Amino acid sequence: MSAQQKAWLSKLAVVALFVLPILFISPKTYITLTVSGVAMGMLLFLVSSGFSLIFGFMSVLNLAHGALFAWGAYIGFTAFSLINQWTGWGGSNVVFLNILIFLLALVVAGMGVAVLGIVTERLVIRPVYGSHLFQIFITVGAMIVMEELIRIVWGPDDEVMPVPISFIGSWDVFDVVVAKYPLIAIVIGLILYLGIYSLLKRTKLGMIVRAGVENPEMVQVMGHNIYRYFTGVFAAGSALAAIGGGMWATFVKSIHPAMGGEVIVFALIVAIIGGLGSMTGSVVGALMVGLSYNYVAYLIPKAALGITMLLLIVILLIRPTGLFPEGT
Amino acid sequence: MNPIQTSHLKEREARFKRPAFFLRLLLLAFFFATPLTFRSFEILDVVLKIIIFSALVASYDVVLGYTGIVSLGHTMYFGIGAYLVGIFMGKLGWISYGDLALALLIAVVISGILSVLIGFFSLRIRAIFFAMVTLAFLEFTFILSSQLRPITGGEDGISFKLPGILALDYRLGQFLGIEFTGRIMSYYLILLISLILFLLMLRFVHSPLGRVLQSIRDNEQRSIALGYRTYVYQVIGSSFASCVAAVTGGCFAIWVRYVSPDSSLSVPIMLDVLLMVIVGGMGTLYGGIFGAAFLVITRAFLPKIQVLIASLLPGVPFAIRLSERWLFYFGLLFILIVYFFPKGIVGTAQEIFARRKGEG
Repeated sequence: MSAQQKAWLSKLAVVALFVLPILFISPKTYITLTVSGVAMGMLLFLVSSGFSLIFGFMSVLNLAHGALFAWGAYIGFTAFSLINQWTGWGGSNVVFLNILIFLLALVVAGMGVAVLGIVTERLVIRPVYGSHLFQIFITVGAMIVMEELIRIVWGPDDEVMPVPISFIGSWDVFDVVVAKYPLIAIVIGLILYLGIYSLLKRTKLGMIVRAGVENPEMVQVMGHNIYRYFTGVFAAGSALAAIGGGMWATFVKSIHPAMGGEVIVFALIVAIIGGLGSMTGSVVGALMVGLSYNYVAYLIPKAALGITMLLLIVILLIRPTGLFPEGT
Repeated sequence: MNPIQTSHLKEREARFKRPAFFLRLLLLAFFFATPLTFRSFEILDVVLKIIIFSALVASYDVVLGYTGIVSLGHTMYFGIGAYLVGIFMGKLGWISYGDLALALLIAVVISGILSVLIGFFSLRIRAIFFAMVTLAFLEFTFILSSQLRPITGGEDGISFKLPGILALDYRLGQFLGIEFTGRIMSYYLILLISLILFLLMLRFVHSPLGRVLQSIRDNEQRSIALGYRTYVYQVIGSSFASCVAAVTGGCFAIWVRYVSPDSSLSVPIMLDVLLMVIVGGMGTLYGGIFGAAFLVITRAFLPKIQVLIASLLPGVPFAIRLSERWLFYFGLLFILIVYFFPKGIVGTAQEIFARRKGEG
């Protein structure tokens, strides 16, 4: 068997593993679960891609990523509420206006958190480049500060995330229940993935960033001020986390200050599974985590997190560098 | 006699002449005398928590400061120790000294096996993976402990009774005007265990094995070149520390007679331990005592400070809101310490003394 055949066979085996649950679940439920699993995967992708890119490019383990995610959700929440108060687009019957207000809130969240990310990178992370240990300490400190700032600004209690009226409910496709919002999340996630992917693959900026993932010193030798790119990548990663936060909040319909801490663990796992610094890896890893989580949560509810950990352990054992190592 | 042996001999002779040695004895005497001098339970509680957390932070320091790998799940072993005592005493109702010892022993074995496994599949590639994987495991055990209601009592946790002289209603009688209750007995038991653990850790980091770990921490490439399989040593170091942490967790459960996910397995405890290590100073072991004292005392007095601020500034809701968010200041402290005191209290003090010695 040639190496190519072997690679194909392993890919087939993975796909087969995700079709396997159909033996235990009725086909209709299977489709519903698959849709919500893919949606969850796409949301996880948004969080972990930023995390993964920051680690791959800057070699910074950014534990404050979860707090940036929560900030995104809260800014999105405020932006949505304000715009809705002003125009009433969120409750209007025109689907276009619903989508417009949702996207506007996401853009505001992304931009706001990108600014926050730039401030964090400049003030907090820049002095400790190169030392993983101090990065961990300082980003943990930044995480606590940001989370507490949320509590000071918005108050410590849970808030109900407003959802555009046409995003609620589900479609009935040949008796199969397909919820509306997950499909929207999948579409937005896919667009963002393709956008980032082509940005990294097709532009000069992307080329420099990809080169930086592989060899930062060489990029500097070629005359690029890598610190400027560091700030840019950190801002972009923060914006992705914020968009993920806003979309996640709409998905679960509630926000609370500690929401980032729960998601950061998933982001870590996805980033390790996919390979740190790889976009395709992030998307594949996120889909694997999202799908397996949903299938198992339906079959054995209490083992749902266990399967995610199992996935992590298996990947670390057979492919310790992740599915798509470094910059692909 | 080779130069290393002579320097060892010199060190051994000077050991009992240094002020540091007497400071340590004084500290131990203070811990020993606390129940005899202070009657209030609050003070006893604070001092005992300092003792337990000193041992826990020291064990974390073995991983972080001596082995040089970053674990973010160290309190998982602390929680395992606490939970095993809780399950044995509370759920199974096996209340005897033997079962208490057995619970601690099983906790040590489980922690040892678990940390060897985690080390095995995450330290092999990059040390930074270890931080991520251990964090994921901590979160996983936290959720597990709140979900497995039949075994762990879910979010409510388990409260339990202890055997014999440790039980709350035990009275030994009056001695020197102090009533020796089960509480005081537990205090001395835990002090003894913590002392043994501390000496064990001191022995460990100054043993030849500990020296190898420090050499790996300082320069991994060179250690590899010298022929050490660095990753095996790192696994040994981290699993030793995990076993110690499991015992401290058991002690914590013995003291509070209660375990729950929030009190023994949650991420905030891990953050506390991290802060204690940085405040005290990494790679010093003794720093843990200062770090633990600082944080435990601050925690104990925070409610009073809040009341003070609320009474000083009535009608300023923003100030009260700011004072309620004391975690915010801990976060700032994390950042500021890394900026200005990366060596912590003990590390900075050692540096100053070393510099003076060099001048004189």
